[in-house]
Amino acid sequence: MNCSVSSASATGAVTLNLFSDMSHLAVDIEFLRKRYSNGVEALAGVALQVPRGSIFGLIGPNGAGKSTMVKSLLTILRPTECRGTMLGEPIGKKSTLAKVGYLPEHATFPEYLTGRQVIEYSAGLAHISRRACKDRVDRLLDQVGMSEAASRTMRTYSKGMKQRIGLAQALVNDPEVVFLDEPTDGVDPEGRIDFKRMISALREEGRTVFVNSHLLAEVEQIADRVAILSKGKIVKQGLVSDLTRREARYELRVQGTLPAELMIWCSERGISIQGNVLSLTAESAIAVQPLIDKLRSSLVVINELKEDRFSLEELFLQTVMEQRQHPNALAAR
Amino acid sequence: MTQAYTILLDSLRMLRASKLFWVSLWISAVVAVAYASIGFNDKGMTVMFGLWDFEIEIMRKGTAESQAFYTLIFTDVIVRFWLGWASLVLALISTCSIFPQFLQTGSVELAISKPVTRARLFLLKYIGGLLFVAVQTLLFTIVCFIALGVRCNEWNLSVFWAVPVVTFSFSLIYCIGVFVGVWSRSTIFALFASLLFWLMTLIVQWVDDFTYKMGYTIPEMGVNIDMRTGQVSEGTEDAGAGFRGFHEKIQPIVAIMPKTRETILSLKRLIVFEERDSMLAGVDLGSVFAGGEMDPNAKYAMKKYDLRYSWFSIVGTSLIFELVVLGGAMLLFSRRDY
Repeated sequence: MNCSVSSASATGAVTLNLFSDMSHLAVDIEFLRKRYSNGVEALAGVALQVPRGSIFGLIGPNGAGKSTMVKSLLTILRPTECRGTMLGEPIGKKSTLAKVGYLPEHATFPEYLTGRQVIEYSAGLAHISRRACKDRVDRLLDQVGMSEAASRTMRTYSKGMKQRIGLAQALVNDPEVVFLDEPTDGVDPEGRIDFKRMISALREEGRTVFVNSHLLAEVEQIADRVAILSKGKIVKQGLVSDLTRREARYELRVQGTLPAELMIWCSERGISIQGNVLSLTAESAIAVQPLIDKLRSSLVVINELKEDRFSLEELFLQTVMEQRQHPNALAAR
Repeated sequence: MTQAYTILLDSLRMLRASKLFWVSLWISAVVAVAYASIGFNDKGMTVMFGLWDFEIEIMRKGTAESQAFYTLIFTDVIVRFWLGWASLVLALISTCSIFPQFLQTGSVELAISKPVTRARLFLLKYIGGLLFVAVQTLLFTIVCFIALGVRCNEWNLSVFWAVPVVTFSFSLIYCIGVFVGVWSRSTIFALFASLLFWLMTLIVQWVDDFTYKMGYTIPEMGVNIDMRTGQVSEGTEDAGAGFRGFHEKIQPIVAIMPKTRETILSLKRLIVFEERDSMLAGVDLGSVFAGGEMDPNAKYAMKKYDLRYSWFSIVGTSLIFELVVLGGAMLLFSRRDY
């Protein structure tokens, strides 16, 4: 059962009680803080919950701490303080990683290896027996559309091809959770469509996908839930549909000029007027009804009524701007 | 086991992809073939499969001296200069990039995010680097083994001691490269640091060697050297006391340093050839070229010089040094954020 209510704790950590049944969580971070030796606080006490079988998008500006968070979960860096579980085990337990896949940002693969060998290398490190490896590698190469180029060395691959092999190696251990850090970075538009399809297919297979990205339109299209991370803090999170539905902008185009009395009435209620267009931001169309009534009672002809929903990008920009203006306001709304 | 196999297989693939590995292998092949090309006929010694003849009576085919000479070339030239020097420099150039490359952003994360401990990952990568030398030395030794068998009818398996000994000697320098590589993530820095350290250990070993010879070996041979005039005379007067004092003083430094040179030289103890009734028995190649037969005193003093260090002093202390350096590198590798 989901709920999108959250509150800020006294320590600055955002605490959330989103899910009543913890076994449904793939990742449950109660508190995560990372402070580097140079004093930079990359993560300032983050709490996050990712339900199993969902696509979770972590978005944020550059340097927000997105990669730091993923690396903390995968033991690539050591968090200063961490409480939480991944797949039911404490975060940082090595054996859990056997059920986790990962494609790092700017993944670098040995150029002397072929695409197939990169996947086999990953399989070997994940304790996959050589017998089981062969069929699985063939299937994955087919899945990511790299069967024909599998015997070529990595140095001959384009960026998009390398990312495809990167995705295949992340899936070679049949993971329950897959972390993809900027998976479509440097990939051409056609490749991005393929990636979105492949990521959606992972959800259909019952896997949890955790995507770090700054390509908000893509995240909006594929993710079930998102969290916005800024300056090491989660500033907003929830279902994509809830977050983008929360507020909308309504525009009414009227005929002729408005009476002075009506203009005063509008300005008192925060309704902006630009020429013959009246606009307001509201959670639902109910808030627009009094304006329509007023216009009709004033005999003003309404030519058009338009509803513009917030896109994830607009929500992101608004949230980040708010966070910059009020850096201490932590509540994840 | 799967993880170990995977990492070692990757190391072999990396070696195969390295141009320097093939360059080094080709030079090894040339040296091995050059060694195999030395032969003996009724007149004396031949080189390049009979292309050049050298009329040396005692080196005629079938003589004990020719066989002893052939084995001396292996132990005193090939092992000492090719395996102990040149091939190690090439190996160091080739392998110093392993850790800095591995620690590149986007590369190390892939391995660390797998269910493999950092310590295991580090050690397997380290062993992978040693494979460079082990494979080269093994191939080289096989050719020399066959050459010795064919030329001297000496099918001596003890020549294969060269593989672990040369690899161990290399590992004493390579561990410095790994430590600096992990710390700095720079190939150039790792290479220069390891070469510089190697030079430093060699200087210590040369000083130790020189002061021992001057302080102990030469007096025991019954030779006095006047250090002011350079005059050499025979007698019982002991002029080596000063060297002995200095030799004692530097022992604490010698003790903690890795003994790369001594390790390579210890191969002479491990590679045991059939005792032949030869004039060259018990002498080194330098003495052969200096001419003349050594007197029993000199032979005894040289033997004592060769055996002056126990196995613990050579291998044990070097191993302790390597373990300390590797431990430091492993700690850095394990505790770092990537």
